[in-house]
Amino acid sequence: MNLKSLKTVFFKEVLENARDKRTVMSSIVMGALFGPILMVIIMNTTIKMQQDKAEQKLEVPVINQAGAAHLMDFLSAQDVVLQELKGSPEEAIKNKDHDVVLAISDDFAEDFSQGRPAKVMLYHDGSAKGAAKVSVNRLRSLLNAYDRSIGTQRLQLRGISPNLTNVVMIEQHDQATKESRGAMLLTVLPYFLIMGLFMGSMYLAIDTTAGEKERKSLEPLFLNPVKRDTVLAGKLAATVAFGLLTLVLTIVAFKLTLPWYPFEKLGMRFNMGMQVMLIMLLVLAPLALLAGAIQTIIAAFAHSYREAQTYVGLVLIVPMIPSMLLMFMPIKEQLWMMAVPILGQNLVINELMRGDVVGWDAIGLAIAGTLIVGLALAWIAVKLYNREKMLFTD
Amino acid sequence: MISVENISKSFGEVTAVDNVSLQAPDGKITALLGANGAGKTTSMRMIYALIKPEGGQVLVDGINTHEDPVAARARMGVLPDARGLYKRLTARENIVYFGRLQGMKEAKIKERCEELVDRLGMGAFIDRKTEGFSQGQRVKVAIARALIHDPQNILLDEPTNGLDVMSTRAIRRFLKEQRALGKCILFSSHVMQEVSAVCDEITIIDGGRIVASGTESQLRDKTGSDNLEDAFVSLVGGEKLV
Repeated sequence: MNLKSLKTVFFKEVLENARDKRTVMSSIVMGALFGPILMVIIMNTTIKMQQDKAEQKLEVPVINQAGAAHLMDFLSAQDVVLQELKGSPEEAIKNKDHDVVLAISDDFAEDFSQGRPAKVMLYHDGSAKGAAKVSVNRLRSLLNAYDRSIGTQRLQLRGISPNLTNVVMIEQHDQATKESRGAMLLTVLPYFLIMGLFMGSMYLAIDTTAGEKERKSLEPLFLNPVKRDTVLAGKLAATVAFGLLTLVLTIVAFKLTLPWYPFEKLGMRFNMGMQVMLIMLLVLAPLALLAGAIQTIIAAFAHSYREAQTYVGLVLIVPMIPSMLLMFMPIKEQLWMMAVPILGQNLVINELMRGDVVGWDAIGLAIAGTLIVGLALAWIAVKLYNREKMLFTD
Repeated sequence: MISVENISKSFGEVTAVDNVSLQAPDGKITALLGANGAGKTTSMRMIYALIKPEGGQVLVDGINTHEDPVAARARMGVLPDARGLYKRLTARENIVYFGRLQGMKEAKIKERCEELVDRLGMGAFIDRKTEGFSQGQRVKVAIARALIHDPQNILLDEPTNGLDVMSTRAIRRFLKEQRALGKCILFSSHVMQEVSAVCDEITIIDGGRIVASGTESQLRDKTGSDNLEDAFVSLVGGEKLV
């Protein structure tokens, strides 16, 4: 491989693509800013909605209020606004008119006076998210409080210590640190970092291969006395360089947007010092090679620029898989997992965010594992262009 | 000097080129004349070592193009069927890029570039981005890019396809100058007037096979025709009803 020719190809691709404002906009700016900004917006709005619900007066439609006058007084005293319900409670929940509906059973008054469990019905949507859940929980805890206070009074009237019914006392020792609580919310951070890097190199991977084929400049290019491997290596180097640039910008963008995260409101702490940023960069950098190589291979098989865009766009799903797995499945980390590309990066970054000290063996393994796979894919991408079929669109 | 010996190529069931041989000597313009789909482009691609022939060999100044494609390409300047320029680069940047890939020194590239700008009349647009160039401007840049290293052998695939009269004349004049410098020029075409106007030797290809070769007058005499077009039609087996 001729290093001078490789450099010539590299600088030409960088210059040509840097002149394309659309590339710079879409791949670099979008790739780098999309994740950080989206996360700031999502986290802030979720927190705000939950807080609003928690601070607002709880409004509860109640069916058959007359059946439980004492309970109604209790709820009113706790600042609950009682409402009449028009229509059925099922409809009200289904149409999201109300977060929760309380219905008093017809036998409530009689059961209550006889000392039997008196039934109330709580209508809600168990699959609802965020703010609706807050309303349901608030009402449920109010009902529990009422239940306990009446129960305690009844026992005291009969001269029995209410403590007899408290068989077990639970004392919670939550081992979550402020950092780990933050990390829970930030499990998607590695995904956004990885996605930024994939987006950064995507456009070049397509433009330098399928694009060049479609513009019919690949044939004249290969007529120069330079081996095809060298030309492809130069193109791949430019693709990887754009991926790396986007990665650096994404990390910086996260650092710069940190002040806008509602960490304090959540009682969390999240640390992103220079050392953390450098380790992130170090661990993620080999992924740029892997991303560029996969994208180049896929673009090579496309017949047109548009087709390449479709296929390469689908690759953005790949880095999502380990992030999703980790979000829903509490996987116990093991050292070998670090060597799996993308999964390793996810694990290392998650540990960094939890404030744990990440061992150099884990970091080294994450880098080496990805680098080996990346180099193998790069080799395939480069060799692919020795095939005659790859040269022509017709 | 290009010498092609018995090259063939098939794509799947279709035989595109069947046992083609031809000679293109130095100081002459040799034409590969054929109708659309006769196998011109595939033959040219094998001659300039982009694709591998299934048999036979191609020698460029004595170098076998498939044993040493890199050395052979350094001795060839090719205007392929595909003229694609980089539209975000200026005409000059397009040309310089190829000069560097040819391994030329920067000073030499600059000097040669000026010479080509002069000879092909590109002064008005050499420092403009090639996006939106006319067909004629594009072909001129593509030719300059292909010949930046001043190669001994010049191969052109339908060089004047789609060009207006002025551009066509400029390119013909340029090729004649190159011939006067002793270069070996091989070009493919389906345009009779063109071949008639500039070529010394003509090889006629039809259905992937060579059907005749010689000078224009030899071909006319052979078929008893008074122009090249009639000679061509009679050599490829008369007018087929399509």
